[in-house]
Amino acid sequence: MDSLIIPGDNFHVEGRENVILGPGAYCDPKSQQFQPVNAGFEVVKESKKNVSVHVEYNSKRYVPAVGDLVVGLITGSYSDSYRVSLESFSTPVTLSYMAFPNASKKNRPTLKVGDLVYARVSKADKELEAEIECVDSTTGKDAGFGLLEGGTVVDVSLAYCRELAFNPDYALLPLLAKTAQFEVAIGINGKIWIKCDDVRHALACKKSIVDCQHYTPSEHKSIITKNFKKLLNSTD
Amino acid sequence: MAKDIEISTSESKFLIEALRQGLRPDLRKFEEIRDVGITFGKDYGDVTVTMGKTKVHCRISCSIAQPYEDRPFEGLFYISTETSPMAGAQFENGNNTGEDEVLCSRIIEKAVRRSGALDVEGLCIVAGSKCWAVRADVHFLDCDGGFIDVSCIAVMCGLLHFRKPDVTVSGEQVTIHPVEEREPVPLGVLHIPICVTFSFFNPEDAEENIKGESNNEICLIDATLKEELLRDGTLTVTLNKNREVVQVSKAGGLPMDALTLMDCCHKAFKITEKLTDKITEVLKKDIESRNQHSAMLSSENARVS
Amino acid sequence: MLSAQTGILEQVDGSCKLQCGETTVICSVTGPIEPKARQELPAQLALEIVVRPCRGVPSTREKLLEDQVRGVITPVLARYLYPRQLAQVCFQILESGEPEENYSVKELSACINAAFVAIVDAGIGLKFSFASVPLSVLGEDEQICVDPSQTDLIKSSSTHVLALQLAAGGQKVENILLFESYGDFTEKSMLQVLQSGEKACVETALELRKVIQHKIQQDFVWR
Repeated sequence: MDSLIIPGDNFHVEGRENVILGPGAYCDPKSQQFQPVNAGFEVVKESKKNVSVHVEYNSKRYVPAVGDLVVGLITGSYSDSYRVSLESFSTPVTLSYMAFPNASKKNRPTLKVGDLVYARVSKADKELEAEIECVDSTTGKDAGFGLLEGGTVVDVSLAYCRELAFNPDYALLPLLAKTAQFEVAIGINGKIWIKCDDVRHALACKKSIVDCQHYTPSEHKSIITKNFKKLLNSTD
Repeated sequence: MAKDIEISTSESKFLIEALRQGLRPDLRKFEEIRDVGITFGKDYGDVTVTMGKTKVHCRISCSIAQPYEDRPFEGLFYISTETSPMAGAQFENGNNTGEDEVLCSRIIEKAVRRSGALDVEGLCIVAGSKCWAVRADVHFLDCDGGFIDVSCIAVMCGLLHFRKPDVTVSGEQVTIHPVEEREPVPLGVLHIPICVTFSFFNPEDAEENIKGESNNEICLIDATLKEELLRDGTLTVTLNKNREVVQVSKAGGLPMDALTLMDCCHKAFKITEKLTDKITEVLKKDIESRNQHSAMLSSENARVS
Repeated sequence: MLSAQTGILEQVDGSCKLQCGETTVICSVTGPIEPKARQELPAQLALEIVVRPCRGVPSTREKLLEDQVRGVITPVLARYLYPRQLAQVCFQILESGEPEENYSVKELSACINAAFVAIVDAGIGLKFSFASVPLSVLGEDEQICVDPSQTDLIKSSSTHVLALQLAAGGQKVENILLFESYGDFTEKSMLQVLQSGEKACVETALELRKVIQHKIQQDFVWR
């Protein structure tokens, strides 16, 4: 029941109480009226107590939100924290030295400027600088976060990235896995880190992921086959 | 100064490793240029040139002005290359003092204006008092590397495509005929310079290269933005179809020997030939499509001539 | 009459090439990004607006256009969602479609419409839709011409640009964002301009809506 919605339209939840607003919905502080601020598909989800509404829209620039798993680039280090860029030209975020597993005053993390990290957004208040962490704060364990060694990064649009990360039925990565062996970390900020033993495979994966953004799922398979064929047949 | 695009060490290592194995991220060969697209607008001298994802728009315009006192027989010709954040947030509006921006505008200036690609004497109307001032406004729309090469093509296409209004001079009396009244006349273009930019990568230690013994450096033609950001040296060669070298520009970066330079020039010539043919072909097509309309209306002209 | 494409530029976050009659503009939007210290606003999104003419260097005419566009998009942006951030909005006029020394109505209206689509493409929050039309009043019988051609413009006694804030699917007019008039006109003809302008704005908004619909379908083509 996803319907198209653009700014200036009204959500189809008129007269409902306990409406929870998600991304793309804005509540005017003065009038307490809520309205869509982005153009995309309107998604209304009913639950027992309330109804939630958000706009599923596509964009290129990431705005941090708590709980998102992101791929960041270390751009500077200070006395007690790293400065991490989630996207070129965006406001950088902070990664505290204490946000690592087994952190203590003496035990400093060893990341360098230019390294890639996989992390979770822990604080994202629009008035303040966002913070990320490389540790599962409920258990104190590392939970797969931290330095991403080697590999390369694929830049994709944010909605496509979310689909890759959250839709278990989305067939692209399983299809790729049939032809190549790779490690992957999907950052919701539109950065997909991918690592293969072989450069050719990595390049083919990278190109396939980028290309499939513009085609329907039925065409994915042929795109992947084409890219791999082209790369593996090219001689040195 | 605006901020730069940030690139991780993993990505740069990956790119170098791929280059070592003879692969480019967009699967091109090392000496292959991206597809060049040339489209003309409705007006004369309005052209958009694309090369891969790089996109440049050029607009030629003209007005009547007074020539310089020391060059009374020559018209004026300006090329303006100003960047705006439209091409990417790394460019600042109205600030063209960055190294790359200055280099880019100088190279285009040298390639087109100082090489005499435009016949400025043909722009003279009345010696010492009236001449045409031709202006090329280069607008950078999208930046994915190779601005110099694309801009040069755009300016040349614009000049070749442009028509200035016809004038008649009788004594001191100058009459400018509006386009509706009399067919406008093309500019005198003497040759078509084409810029080809090479990018060099040094996967080994830089020291080795200076000694000149083991030359492991990798040479790419028409680098994309990512490749440009990571390159260790660059060289721009400007040539024309007559095998004349218009300029060789190498501002710092990796040292290179004379043989490599010669080799680069030969490679660049092949590309120059290909691009010149492409430009003439596209121009011919455009003129044909314009003449279709005038053919329907031009029975009058036939009688006059 | 009006055609537009989105996502035509790779490096920026949102872009739109809009052609309206003889006028063509490209708009690019980047943001929210980190501003320079002098641009930063403590509670809301700062705007950097750049208008570049199709020929020659930017002059006071372009500065005025920048200011007029700023006046239109500032009230409709959800600025308080992005405190201490910056959005860069750039316009490049490709074809002016009017004598540049004397007129700027067609460029202004095309810029406003292009800005709407490009901001939507960039995903920056907008509270309302908006659309704009150029108009001119012709001759003694005060004939109103919507979207005048270059020849209409030169013959006209006055020229106008109207930009409206629209709600409820682009059908309901909420507010006048901009109403610029040049030349001699009477109160009666101005009211007539407003009336036909309103109708034309709603029509334009419908066209822009189609462009955005197409964009969204393209965005989610992999579904």
